[in-house]
Amino acid sequence: MGSDSRRTFLGLCLGGLGAIAAAAVGWPLFRYLAPRSSKESAGKIVIPEKEIATGDAKFFEYAGSSAVLVRKKDGSLIALSAVCTHLGCIVQWQKDKQDFLCPCHAGHYSPDGAVTGGPPPKSLARIPFSVAGGTITIG
Amino acid sequence: MTLLKSIVDWVDVRIGVREVAEQELTGYLLPRNINSWYSLGSILLFAFALQVASGILLLIYYVPDADKAFKSVSYIMNEVPFGWLIRMCHAVGSNMMVLALLLHMLSVLFMGSYKRPRELNWVTGFILLSMVQGISLTGYLLPWSQLSFWATTVATNSANAIPVIGPYLVEFLRGGKLVGAPTLGRFFALHVALIPAGIAAMIGAHLFLLKRTGVSAPPFGQENTSNQWQGDRYHYEHHPGGIPFFPVFALEDLRSIAIYMACFLAVVFFDPYLFFPKDAFIPANPFVTPAHIKPEWYFLANYQTLKIFPNELIGLSLQGAGMTFLAMLPFIDRGPERHPLKRPLFMACSIGGLLLWIGLSVWGHLS
Repeated sequence: MGSDSRRTFLGLCLGGLGAIAAAAVGWPLFRYLAPRSSKESAGKIVIPEKEIATGDAKFFEYAGSSAVLVRKKDGSLIALSAVCTHLGCIVQWQKDKQDFLCPCHAGHYSPDGAVTGGPPPKSLARIPFSVAGGTITIG
Repeated sequence: MTLLKSIVDWVDVRIGVREVAEQELTGYLLPRNINSWYSLGSILLFAFALQVASGILLLIYYVPDADKAFKSVSYIMNEVPFGWLIRMCHAVGSNMMVLALLLHMLSVLFMGSYKRPRELNWVTGFILLSMVQGISLTGYLLPWSQLSFWATTVATNSANAIPVIGPYLVEFLRGGKLVGAPTLGRFFALHVALIPAGIAAMIGAHLFLLKRTGVSAPPFGQENTSNQWQGDRYHYEHHPGGIPFFPVFALEDLRSIAIYMACFLAVVFFDPYLFFPKDAFIPANPFVTPAHIKPEWYFLANYQTLKIFPNELIGLSLQGAGMTFLAMLPFIDRGPERHPLKRPLFMACSIGGLLLWIGLSVWGHLS
């Protein structure tokens, strides 16, 4: 084996070892810095049913984001993401008008989360929930 | 390669980067009889960089609040992916760095490298040792465990022995009568900002002095081992016909760093709790003092000295005198001879001092 090919071979070995070392450092570092996935942090949220009156909304944190529970005028419940689908601001519940307003760019949503005005491109995402024994379990 | 060469050419014609490389790397000649002990400085630089990197990563999740600190450390250890690895690297790294620092100091001592004109190199090195001890002490409190809390209580309390200002000094250090939330705040600021900045500045000064005086030749394998400098004018110690720093000694440095890393990772992976007594896993409780609370291994000799002398002031003064003697060593030991075997008095004193330190540490550990 000539000295040039030996040099290339050793260079390749060194490069390979360097790449393995970089991966051994880089992977833990990436995992350490990566945000926790919403699945990992999505515990169930329990809210007593009496805490939310007819026509009211209750905001809470769910899966690392903001969510809202609404009891509509007809008494039915709905859980929605409170993050506006336009640019990610948090919507506000307007009890008198029974709709959601996004204060950033005046997007409007119905109590069901459907867009009724302004720039939002799509409805607010729905969140599954169940009601049993006087408590509402979200997630 | 052509692209790389073009980039280097582009930079070179502007700032003469090849000239700097020639001067500082390939043309920077070291004594032919240089040995592996000279790599300890590079190991320490590497260890310090590792401490800074792991410390910055820990800051992402650590909360410097007395109510949340322990929980945040538990969270790092148990919940954050690879959080245990980052924390163990930081905790084990601090101990290994002190060990490397002590070895560096011993090699300088035995090879007589502290002698003139290198008095300032020794003094800056000594200041670095003190600052590393300071950063270790302040970092010890941050996990807010029983060990942290009570070790800091004992350590800060020793300042009480200083006449007149002692009690006020203790209160000033703690930010209150007892160790508490204000202590955590000030120790945190010292640990992550003030002392690291001081260490970085002092490393800069240490390296600057090394560059100005030149590397000392080891006193081994030479006929004349006495100090040649007359002390009348500035002299840079050249090593004509020596070995180039790059690539020869840089590879030696790399090998030494690899050996250090092997030892360091062996502790991190196979005995991560080597430096953690069980009280390190219990949250701080200001109302319950655990039995046999002890400082880190490198403070055990100081701890035992304070225990031996019933009068705290005498114990503290002796330690102060010992540290002052060590700091002033180049100004006290002014003989020109550098070979350890040609300095019997020095050898007897330093080996005696070392054995005393080890003996006190073992006694402190077992008592």
